[in-house]
Amino acid sequence: MRYYRASGIAFLIPIIVLIAIFYSMIVWDFVAAFTFWQGLKPTWKFAGLYNFSRLFGMERFWINIRNNILWLLFFIGPTVFVGFILAYLLTHLRRGESIFWQIFLFPMALSFIITGVLWAWMYDPSSGLINSILKMLGVNTSRLGWIALPKTAIYCMIVAAFWQYLGFALVIYLGAIKGIPYEMVEAARVDGASHWTVAFRIIFPNVGHATLICTTMLAITTVKVFDLVWIMTRGGPGVSTEILPYLMYRLTFDSRDIGMGTATSIVILALSAAMVIPYSMWAIKKWVRI
Amino acid sequence: MIPIYAMISTSLKTQEEVALQKYLVPPQKLQTSNYAKAFEALKIGLRNSLIISLSATFVCILIGSMAGYALTGFNFRFATYLFFAIVVVTFLPYHVILIPITQFLKTLNLLNTYWGLILIYVILNAPMATLITGTFFMKVPPDLEEAAILDGCKPFKYYLKILLPVSLPGLISATILVFIQIYNEFLLGIALTRGPQVKPVMPFLAELKGTQIAQWHIQMAGAVITSIIPVLVFIFLGRYFISGLMAGYGKG
Repeated sequence: MRYYRASGIAFLIPIIVLIAIFYSMIVWDFVAAFTFWQGLKPTWKFAGLYNFSRLFGMERFWINIRNNILWLLFFIGPTVFVGFILAYLLTHLRRGESIFWQIFLFPMALSFIITGVLWAWMYDPSSGLINSILKMLGVNTSRLGWIALPKTAIYCMIVAAFWQYLGFALVIYLGAIKGIPYEMVEAARVDGASHWTVAFRIIFPNVGHATLICTTMLAITTVKVFDLVWIMTRGGPGVSTEILPYLMYRLTFDSRDIGMGTATSIVILALSAAMVIPYSMWAIKKWVRI
Repeated sequence: MIPIYAMISTSLKTQEEVALQKYLVPPQKLQTSNYAKAFEALKIGLRNSLIISLSATFVCILIGSMAGYALTGFNFRFATYLFFAIVVVTFLPYHVILIPITQFLKTLNLLNTYWGLILIYVILNAPMATLITGTFFMKVPPDLEEAAILDGCKPFKYYLKILLPVSLPGLISATILVFIQIYNEFLLGIALTRGPQVKPVMPFLAELKGTQIAQWHIQMAGAVITSIIPVLVFIFLGRYFISGLMAGYGKG
């Protein structure tokens, strides 16, 4: 026996209103991206692809795209890989497992701003933690500029994000590995398989859903690292560490070029939707059992 | 863990000690004045953040749990579509609608107000609260609902008096996740506020970094102060944090 459907509608009204606002904002974004809107007052004049062609003509835009790709490549891969290995190792611990994952997961509770303040100090070339430790060990640090050099700065930031998100990958994998039937792993052990074989031939193929969750969530995170970019380098040196959301912010709030800003939003939207929509279609099957 | 240790020990040192750059050596004498100084710079932000995140979280959980109940408790035909729309909103980075958000608040005359920030945080986080609470509601045995109907209990009373108390762990998980998310948010804090009156704490911390250049002990003290709330939540309610994370990312 269940309640009548009609009595449930009222419970849904608030959320429907909220997500309707969200989706209308996306529509608004699309409309604004095709107008000549510069400065404070809206000018709803159709501009065609004018903003997009200006955007694609900017060298800065392509540096941003390149940086976003670097983030995807060098952030997701190592985080997923190390997270998986650690999770595998943790399942072999007899005790203290929860202490370990708590230590690794704890940075997830911090904001990117705190991580950024902390790591900006560690990377500081003249008085930072890393160089001061290296000096103590007798390394000549005069050429190790870390975050101050255009070539290395982005990787420094990726390491900071890796530190923050490793625990996330670890916990997701830990849950997945525990869901694997124990007999399967045990059988391989008895056959004399090495740790490496068990981890990558038997366990890894069976935790595909965890890999999917991790890669998608980390990919979305590469858009959200705006905060990290802001606090650690402000996109610099030059524009060498800018990523698309940062460019969008600059175009909108510094240059007051809403047309260009929304055009950048649309590019980000297209890239994120390409990840989020397939993921949601997959994830929803877990929630809605129809 | 070394970064955390160095952060805390440096936050308690004097400027002279910091200048020696022996960061791994513990402080000679605890320098609590660093904290006083950092707190002075951050206190308005902390107050604003608490007001905004607590009220926004409350509304999110209220709206989210109602929706979570409706979507899992009644067999709506359109439920799948609505659920899909909610999942997409949960995961889409809000950066893509930053510009419409500012224009929206400008039109409503809510820029630089508590109400404006709370409204936006509710729009952005209620979907996640729906997913998490919904996941937990699905685990509630259907017998409870049958018993409630036989007793003549109305749906709203059932939701308030039976469903919510029974799923308390789920509610705590959702509350923690949403609260930490809002408390840690930065971009909207800078885009939607002018001046210090309603600005949340993260922008204040960013400013502290900008004004206290190379004053690492002050910066670190500020970072510690700002992270106290999420860290305490994590230490005491970490279990719920994990289960919320799992529920929120589709592994309920």
